[in-house]
Amino acid sequence: MQVNGQLALTVLMGVFLVAVAAWLARVENWRTYTPLAGGGGAYGQEGYTSEEKPSGLIRWLTTVDHKDIGLLYGTYGLIAFAVGGLMVVVMRVELADPGMTLISNTYYNSLLTSHGITMLFLFGTPILAAFSNYLIPLLIDADDMAFPRINAIAFWLLPPGALLIWAGFFPIPDIIPAQTAWTMYTPLSAGLGNGNQANAGVDLMLLGLHLTGVSATMGAINFIATIFTERAEEVTWANLDIFSWTILTQSGLILFAFPLLGSALIMLLFDRNLGTAFFVNGGDPILWQHLFWFFGHPEVYILVLPPMGIVSYVLPRFSGRRLFGFKFVVYSTLAIGVLSFGVWAHHMFTTGIDPRLRASFMAISLAIAIPSAVKTFNWITTMWNGRVRLTTPMLYCIGFVSNFIIGGVTGVFLASVPIDLVLHDTYYVVGHFHYIVMGAIAFAGFAGLYYWFPLYTGRMYQRTLGKAHFWLSMVGTNVTFFAMILLGYGGMPRRYATYLPQFATLHQVATLGAVILLAGQIIFVWNFVQSWLEGPKVENGDPWNLKEDNLYTAEWNWYDRKLKTAVADGGEEEEEEALTDGGQAADATETDDDAN
Amino acid sequence: MANEIFDRETLLDLTVNMIPLFIIAFFMVAFAVFPLFGRGDLLAMAVQYGLLLVPFVALAVLTYLSGKAIAGDEKRSTVFLQGQATVDEPTELHEYESQAEAAAVDDDSPAELESSDGETTQNDDETTRN
Repeated sequence: MQVNGQLALTVLMGVFLVAVAAWLARVENWRTYTPLAGGGGAYGQEGYTSEEKPSGLIRWLTTVDHKDIGLLYGTYGLIAFAVGGLMVVVMRVELADPGMTLISNTYYNSLLTSHGITMLFLFGTPILAAFSNYLIPLLIDADDMAFPRINAIAFWLLPPGALLIWAGFFPIPDIIPAQTAWTMYTPLSAGLGNGNQANAGVDLMLLGLHLTGVSATMGAINFIATIFTERAEEVTWANLDIFSWTILTQSGLILFAFPLLGSALIMLLFDRNLGTAFFVNGGDPILWQHLFWFFGHPEVYILVLPPMGIVSYVLPRFSGRRLFGFKFVVYSTLAIGVLSFGVWAHHMFTTGIDPRLRASFMAISLAIAIPSAVKTFNWITTMWNGRVRLTTPMLYCIGFVSNFIIGGVTGVFLASVPIDLVLHDTYYVVGHFHYIVMGAIAFAGFAGLYYWFPLYTGRMYQRTLGKAHFWLSMVGTNVTFFAMILLGYGGMPRRYATYLPQFATLHQVATLGAVILLAGQIIFVWNFVQSWLEGPKVENGDPWNLKEDNLYTAEWNWYDRKLKTAVADGGEEEEEEALTDGGQAADATETDDDAN
Repeated sequence: MANEIFDRETLLDLTVNMIPLFIIAFFMVAFAVFPLFGRGDLLAMAVQYGLLLVPFVALAVLTYLSGKAIAGDEKRSTVFLQGQATVDEPTELHEYESQAEAAAVDDDSPAELESSDGETTQNDDETTRN
């Protein structure tokens, strides 16, 4: 009976898949979506001209246009940010009280694990891919990415990855969420002992992570190929903009780091399911930490280099002058890229590794602080005596610099072995890296989202709401994470759902900060959605008045051409409307110029 | 050829990476002079110095190659302001620099510029349109 049931299900699934394939084949002629880029066609593109994209949902499911894929990455990243953010709000509310009140301790551990993985793998990496996909081809004047289809596949691996990572939270019988923390340390993550981590939910999470790793690697190969081979003739290495430099370096890091994570995850899955002995069963649990952090520390720079690129790119536009020491920033970006592979064991100072090795890792960790500090001085010097315009993206850039200094300086202390031995596994570490991931990386993301809002929506956001979003985020970030640094000095260990009453006040301050952050993000969502749908149309190719200071750049030039010509970037849905606006824009610009 | 590319200006740009190189070299010497954990275990010492030497060499090589690529392109082709290479009327870097120097002589110039930001302009645009 059971066999028959399985057979019926298999046949049903087979019929369903055939039906899906048949429907997809009927939907459109797939070859017509190949963009103009020469590298795109797997099979010759005879007689191809710019075809219209299909409309509606089919457009988004079948697109290989780098801008569309950028928007998909962006949407995905922001949804993940909302999920990860709401998870941590529940955790922070629980932590307002020392005991176990709102949620169980195991559920807290589940949220802790998913919050970390969601924010790093499902929000951090994809939101940066959103910017790079949309902008890099425009900045280097390429027709599209070098491999547009690989670009699409790389994105479409992410949604199943997210579903697998979150699988434990869905009402599936016998599957519980992973509670390993994002570092997945063995032997806990190998499912040994009396805990519940032998559950299949952990396997699904590991597989989901693997998918996101494959996705990131495919994207990285694409960016390296694009930046090396698709640059316009004028875009020499000397003319390559800073954002492209950071994406190139980031892609190099991904190429060396993510495959290692993939391998380690497979080894862990084998240990869990096939009885191998890499990390447990006689293997070495510390080996996991070495492999994980050899990926994990470059991952930190994978996440922070492009935001540094965004800030280095946007901040000078509102300082009325070009970036101070442009080449310093480029070379220091490359230096960070190399040195990031030599510091991994500073996460492992307390594991009992040989003190000689600890000393070497400390030396490189101190050395890597220099290129980061160089950038900070470059940003400050760029603003110094400049004509600073405090627009929302600029506020976020300044917020980035401010938070990055606090996050960076607290990190330098942690690089020192004796201090790390005291502060390891306390809230100090949590405060330190949240200053970087929230205070710096997310802030740069917001700077980019606001700065290029007219570029990808054709509209302008509401500036009062934008500024409210900034100030709530800035205050919320500092209240939350500074309280965590103080908690760490007090000896509060990280990863606990309950704590001693003496830590209650600072925990409540941190929770207050998290609520302020939540309020800010609600305003952001409102502003973002409403302005995208109803905001004033931007009819000027230079919405930030960059020409005035000679700071106009390639992507706005593209946007200006798009407004004026309104042909063809592949026949978007709103193209008709854009044609009219393009016509008006010319007049509006003239009026503006006259007025000035 | 190498000396033509690595002129004084380029070497100055590259100092930013020489500082971390110097820090690594400093620790290598320090660990050699003051071996706090003894010289007994050769394997541990080899790994210790390897962990310093590999990043040192990799950083030195990458700095050389990137310096050669960037400074070489600067000499071979026109350099524009950042991000402007493909705009319709790009400004060349040396033009911008000479303008900036001229403006520096006339030190009132920054104050004359109006301080409206882009966001305000957009609202104005919207008003104009309506």
